[in-house]
Amino acid sequence: MSQSLKPYLAAVRSSLTAAICLEDFSSQLVERHNRPEIEVDNTHNPELILNPMIIARNENEKILIEPSVNSVRVSIKIKQADEIEQILVHKFTRFLTSRAENFFILRRVPIKGYDISFLITNFHTEQMLKDKLVDFIIEFMEDVDKEISEMKLFLNARARVIAEAYLTPFD
Amino acid sequence: MLHIEQNNLLIKQTLTDRVLPAEEGLKSLDRIITDFDFTTYHISTLPDNKQLILISIYLKCWDDLVKYGVVEYLNSKYGLFEGLTILLGDQIEPSYNYSLVLDLGQVESQAEELKLDLVEQLSFLKRNAMASAFEQAFARYDELAAHYATSNTYSEEIQAELQNEEVLVIKYRGSDESIYIKPSFDRVTVVFSTVFQDETDKIFGKVFLQEFVDARKRSVQTAPQVLYSHKEAPLDIQSAVQGSRDDEKKGYITFVLFPRHLVKGDRRENCISHIQFFRNYFHYHIKCSKAYMHSRMRFRVKEFLKILNRAKPENVDEEGKVIENRKTASGRRFVA
Repeated sequence: MSQSLKPYLAAVRSSLTAAICLEDFSSQLVERHNRPEIEVDNTHNPELILNPMIIARNENEKILIEPSVNSVRVSIKIKQADEIEQILVHKFTRFLTSRAENFFILRRVPIKGYDISFLITNFHTEQMLKDKLVDFIIEFMEDVDKEISEMKLFLNARARVIAEAYLTPFD
Repeated sequence: MLHIEQNNLLIKQTLTDRVLPAEEGLKSLDRIITDFDFTTYHISTLPDNKQLILISIYLKCWDDLVKYGVVEYLNSKYGLFEGLTILLGDQIEPSYNYSLVLDLGQVESQAEELKLDLVEQLSFLKRNAMASAFEQAFARYDELAAHYATSNTYSEEIQAELQNEEVLVIKYRGSDESIYIKPSFDRVTVVFSTVFQDETDKIFGKVFLQEFVDARKRSVQTAPQVLYSHKEAPLDIQSAVQGSRDDEKKGYITFVLFPRHLVKGDRRENCISHIQFFRNYFHYHIKCSKAYMHSRMRFRVKEFLKILNRAKPENVDEEGKVIENRKTASGRRFVA
């Protein structure tokens, strides 16, 4: 892990731990409804929404944490240095979101400007251990970068091999 | 599996089974075989005589190839074989371009090696058909090389003459994907235009082509020069390019073949077989990488799921609530 990644992840970890402090909360607008307040559009009571927070390592890598009384929305922007990484990140996040049911906390559509979003509600924290959820997000952030750069390296290596294999027999 | 076979394995097998029969008694045969670039073969026994096998090929770019003497070239290749009759004009099977009749009766008496050679050559039918255009371009190169051997090729008139040299166009997959061949006195330029299906293909293609361009600088110095341009056709062939010009998905790959690749004989043959399969090779490897990426992502997603599942405590009741299951050292449970 590089030196600048460590404090970034440490900041994310403590912020997430603080943000995931959720309680069951019934809707104040619709009777007998209980919905993640962060996802309700701005017609509702602003007291239920806490201050959103952005932690950025640089302009290409940042995380947005939007807490509310019964849910937290976590959106991650993954590093994309060039066209290849863009396409790989796009493919990878699409791959994940199309399997969102298995991932419980994964949001099907990311927030605009971010690559992937998670939505953690009080029901999730009731069923799952909070620390482990935070662990998951941290590990996800770490692995995604690693995976993308490995795939990129692989692509280049493969391209090199096939180019040489094609050009050699000409002689 | 790095390289794509240039012959068609199915033709080879079908015919080998026929030429070297394992069992007695002839069965009738009717097989349609497809190959790259919308090529179709039809292998069938004639209805009245099972000794005769009709082999027909359909190529999308046949009309272009006819201009470059494909019929003569194929005739010269296949005319040599005994027991192989080339059908002409109206005799050619409808909706196919070129038909041959193989007479098993005549082949039967030949040595096994000859038979296998015949089958081998037949399995190269597509390769040979495409090769005709290359052969013609290379022959033109020979002419030009001889013609300009003694003149000052840097003079403007000669440069202009060479500029006007006709470009051979093979629209092997319709007008969007074509091969352009331009002979000159000291080189032959082969340009492939290709269309990328989607954004991923385009970007993967770019990475691959960059390596093709670099490979020559790095390790394979004697290879043909490779140039790549996106969207815009190279100047050499701009007059010959048809169809939508400004297509985002289109790419042009130029190979410059130098005299060392064009030495007559095996090397020239090898060069022709090799270069005409460029598109297939290139796109095949793009698809392979995509498939690999996919399986890799599948694996990674599974790993992520495992990590997430660690967050789930093992003891949950039907509603998913955590059951407190702590015990004291003596094994007694806590009471809620």
